[in-house]
Amino acid sequence: MSNNMIRKASAFEILNHWVLALSFFVLMISGFGFLFHLEGLNSVFGSFNQMKAVHNYIGIVFTVSLLLTVFYYLPVSLKFSGDDITWFLKGGGYFSKKTETPPQDKLNAGQKLYYIFILIAGIAIAATGFIMWLRPPLADIRKWILISHFLHNISFDFMVIAMPFHVYLATLANPGTLRIMVYGTVPIEWAKKRHGKWVKRAE
Amino acid sequence: MLRKALLISPEICIGCRGCQIACKEWNNLPADETKNEGTLENPSDLTPNLYNKVRFIEVPSETTPLRWLFVSQRCMHCDDAGCITICPAPGALFKTKEGAVAYDKDKCIGCKLCASACPFNIPRFDKNDKISKCHLCSDRISEGLSPACAKTCPTGAIRYGQRDEIISNSQKEGYEKLYGQADLGGLGVLYAFKDAPKIYGMDEQPAVPETVLLWHNVLKPLSYLGLGGAVAASLLHYIAFKPKKDEEDK
Ligand code: HEM
Ligand code: SF4
Ligand code: SF4
Repeated sequence: MSNNMIRKASAFEILNHWVLALSFFVLMISGFGFLFHLEGLNSVFGSFNQMKAVHNYIGIVFTVSLLLTVFYYLPVSLKFSGDDITWFLKGGGYFSKKTETPPQDKLNAGQKLYYIFILIAGIAIAATGFIMWLRPPLADIRKWILISHFLHNISFDFMVIAMPFHVYLATLANPGTLRIMVYGTVPIEWAKKRHGKWVKRAE
Repeated sequence: MLRKALLISPEICIGCRGCQIACKEWNNLPADETKNEGTLENPSDLTPNLYNKVRFIEVPSETTPLRWLFVSQRCMHCDDAGCITICPAPGALFKTKEGAVAYDKDKCIGCKLCASACPFNIPRFDKNDKISKCHLCSDRISEGLSPACAKTCPTGAIRYGQRDEIISNSQKEGYEKLYGQADLGGLGVLYAFKDAPKIYGMDEQPAVPETVLLWHNVLKPLSYLGLGGAVAASLLHYIAFKPKKDEEDK
């Protein structure tokens, strides 16, 4: 690594990010297939029977990948400070070129919130998915399935609404961000402007 | 084609269970092993091999200490069918032109959601996890025959016919309103009850579970509107504010 670069994501974090994102897209697309009977997807999955199997087993991949993020995203995301609140009050500086935002940690306030959001919705969608798939032998199983079905779909709505903003912010809106999830490194000057607190600590 | 229906009259039923046997014969269903539960009702519940059954209900009446009711039970072939609403597999559950709620086991993906969305707890699942229930002998009625249960019933306790004719005839016979006449958009199995439905072991007001309706009417459209809205909002922001470039800060 050259001197003017700083590592923001480890190789494992990069790999796991793409496992998470890829499994998410497979689950989302097959999920839409079930919701709206998209028979065109048979050209991808073969049949609805096979799509169900893929949806179930990729669900395991997504769940494991999500739980692994807890080790490296959760600690920083739980550190919420006054700077984070100010950051939100200023809209992250995204609504005016002149806005100055307070120095941010390794994840900025918006990223922290996005992570917590994905973690909660992800755990909810995974838990309810496993209940519907494996049908634990509960006395009131028909009711539990209904509740799970409902929560699974609420979490789905939250996630498909949140995800495009994440992709946009990580690509078009913030040039130079995507390389974090490709090379893992960013220029120090770039990082100082966006994650000042973290760079200070790392130096 | 006009909607067909069954009319069930518990007071005429003699509990012979010929309908159960006729159904098994036509649909090629094996017998289930059962055990004595201390009642003549047998088996005690619908199974993947038992599409219809006679419930034996003992209730006291005003004139006798015991009234024995025989109530034939099966899929109600709802017009507004919760099972079809929730089913994620196209073509797995469908309505025939006669209004029967039939199914295609090859298309069923075995998720068993229909069992939770059915107000009458009807769907059962075979050993391959595929849906298994009464389909109103859709292969018979499409040829103009009556369902095996109705064909076999020796007393006329199960009758099959044109749904609107069944309703108008019953009105002439003094039944103001049949059970299932208006519930769930109108059921394909109508009951000529002489007492409150709950005496016959039926829900007064059967309904598709509220979460299923809320999911269908709100959560489902919100998924693609929300996704599309989020993509559109991102692109609008891009056009309106342009990305943050470090050079501009200087
Ligand atoms: C093509 C789609 C995607 C792209 C281009 C993308 C890009 C990125 C980038 C560059 C980062 C690093 C941000 C940083 O460290 O400052 C990141 C972080 C992250 N990504 Fe993605 N991502 C995509 C899809 C997804 C999906 C589908 C999910 C979740 C289901 C996801 C979950 C996360 C999480 C939880 C983080 C950490 C928190 C955050 O940065 O907000 N990503 N992503
Ligand atoms: S078990 Fe079969 S019929 Fe029932 S909802 Fe699932 S796919 Fe549809
Ligand atoms: S009774 Fe149940 S299985 Fe039959 S049509 Fe109605 S909802 Fe479907």
